[in-house]
Amino acid sequence: MVVELAKPRPIWQIMFSTHHTDVGLLYLIMSLAFLFMGGALALIIRAELFLPGAQIIGDAMTFNRIFTVHGTTLIFLFILPFASAVGNYYVPIMVRYKDMAYPKLNAIAFWMIPPGGALVWLGFADFTWYATPPYSIISAPGPAADMWIFGLKILGISSVLGAINFVVTILKCKHPDMSIGQVPLLAWSYLTSSLIILVAIPTFAAALLMLLTDRLGVSGFFNPAMGGDPIAYQHLFWFTFHPEVYVLVIPAIGMMYEIIPRFSRKPIYSYNSGIFAFVLLAIVGFSSWAHHMYASGMSFTEKTVFMVGTLAAVPASAMHVYNFIATMWNGRIKFSTPMMWAVGGIALFFSAGAGGVANAAMPLDFSTHDSYWVVGHFHLFVMGTIAFGSIGFLYYMFPYVTGRMYNETMGKVHFVMSFIGTVLVFFTQHILGLYGMPRRVFDYPPIPEWIAMNQIASVGAMIIGVSMVLFLINMIYSSGKGKLADTDDPFGVGGKYYYPFEAKNPHH
Amino acid sequence: MKGIIVLFLALVVLVIVPAVDLAFAAGDEPGEYVDRRVIIWNLFFRLMTVAFVVGAVVSGTIIWQVWRFRESHPKAKPTPYEGTDW
Repeated sequence: MVVELAKPRPIWQIMFSTHHTDVGLLYLIMSLAFLFMGGALALIIRAELFLPGAQIIGDAMTFNRIFTVHGTTLIFLFILPFASAVGNYYVPIMVRYKDMAYPKLNAIAFWMIPPGGALVWLGFADFTWYATPPYSIISAPGPAADMWIFGLKILGISSVLGAINFVVTILKCKHPDMSIGQVPLLAWSYLTSSLIILVAIPTFAAALLMLLTDRLGVSGFFNPAMGGDPIAYQHLFWFTFHPEVYVLVIPAIGMMYEIIPRFSRKPIYSYNSGIFAFVLLAIVGFSSWAHHMYASGMSFTEKTVFMVGTLAAVPASAMHVYNFIATMWNGRIKFSTPMMWAVGGIALFFSAGAGGVANAAMPLDFSTHDSYWVVGHFHLFVMGTIAFGSIGFLYYMFPYVTGRMYNETMGKVHFVMSFIGTVLVFFTQHILGLYGMPRRVFDYPPIPEWIAMNQIASVGAMIIGVSMVLFLINMIYSSGKGKLADTDDPFGVGGKYYYPFEAKNPHH
Repeated sequence: MKGIIVLFLALVVLVIVPAVDLAFAAGDEPGEYVDRRVIIWNLFFRLMTVAFVVGAVVSGTIIWQVWRFRESHPKAKPTPYEGTDW
């Protein structure tokens, strides 16, 4: 029986365990730690931009360092490890296997993340999470930049090892009585996102090596002075990181597929369309990378091809939204905290997608390129959809992990404040972009509209920050002192759950 | 599943055909920039009108669902699956 905190064990037993729920717990705690660290940096950024001129950060270089580490942390050290946490808890149970396919590899994949994260944080590089050359190879100060490159290299290997484990667990270790068409949609989301990782990450791994050797001066792949081409790096980077967007979002949607039917008290409306949309997203994710590069001088035909490839993701995303709506229809919905986060996530997913359509349309992209529109769009996806789905699922799995219930009122307050804050920050940033404010700027001219909108965004960020403090208090207090959960049906909605609680195999 | 496929095909047509139309509003030829820009902004506003209409319908549906199908609604009734091991 695995209810982690209700039956305390020495910390070393969990740290050196290879059991999937123990590794899941380690992933969970570490990803939440990085969520708060990366979030704190976001608040510093928003405080700086509250008014024109230098406010609390001394210089532009420090500002660049802060938003570089903010982005790197929240993508690589919060969202991805959090998805791994959920996958570790649920995937083996969903495919009815005793553990992950390769338990030791699983633990190794986790233990590569702390050194990777340490390199990123101790270096504090300044070249954005894109590490775009030529700046990153010619001017970015070392050793921060080199530490970032090594850190990302380690995190990439960890992702690949984790992905191999998920693919093998789902395809080869599922119960013989279970066909692939019976695997729950949450597990399907891990299968598709893991396959994307396996195809996409090696390209970035190669690009990082090339970046490093360019920095060392022994090659000139991306160095114009040595005949290289910085645009080539952009292609390699986005070939990995546009699909990576789907690696981030697909598990969050999978989590919503677990929450929404549960709290609607009826099965998912169309299981097959959910699988179809996951697979379609995984495929079209590779046909759209260059939409990030319309302004880099591509030919008209290339741009059109990538625009159509990008828009092909819209029907697949819409299928998920309609599937959720159809599932809730005629349900008897219990709006516990996880359901509120999931429904809020759907609404913001749709809004982010609508903005993305305008972004992807090549002629319009020139109006929004490198403006705050892009910042708003990207963050609406990662915060509004991925983080909302993830946090909702954290509340959902909380009683299974701790054996106790969180404080429901605080959870709902957390949701309401985060929803309001998210709308204030990221919708406003879209408009700010249309008003022409460029992204990644330390200072801006005192244009009244820019000041007003930056202040709205900063206030929204502070609201999110306060809500996250409530969340932290709720999690820490409830895991120790919360009401004991009914682990058979903690939310009182009935039906068959997939419990980590059911993982009855002894710890390794 | 048939309904989903029909919906999917309809969305493909609705999204991709106008998008291609939109793409060809942008030209590479010098001298036509100003006119093209006007066309692009015109298309942008048309696209945004469509996006807001669809968004309003979808968001409105979600808001209505949240209100109508909540368990505390006077007309809420158990689903056929409640009490079973679905």
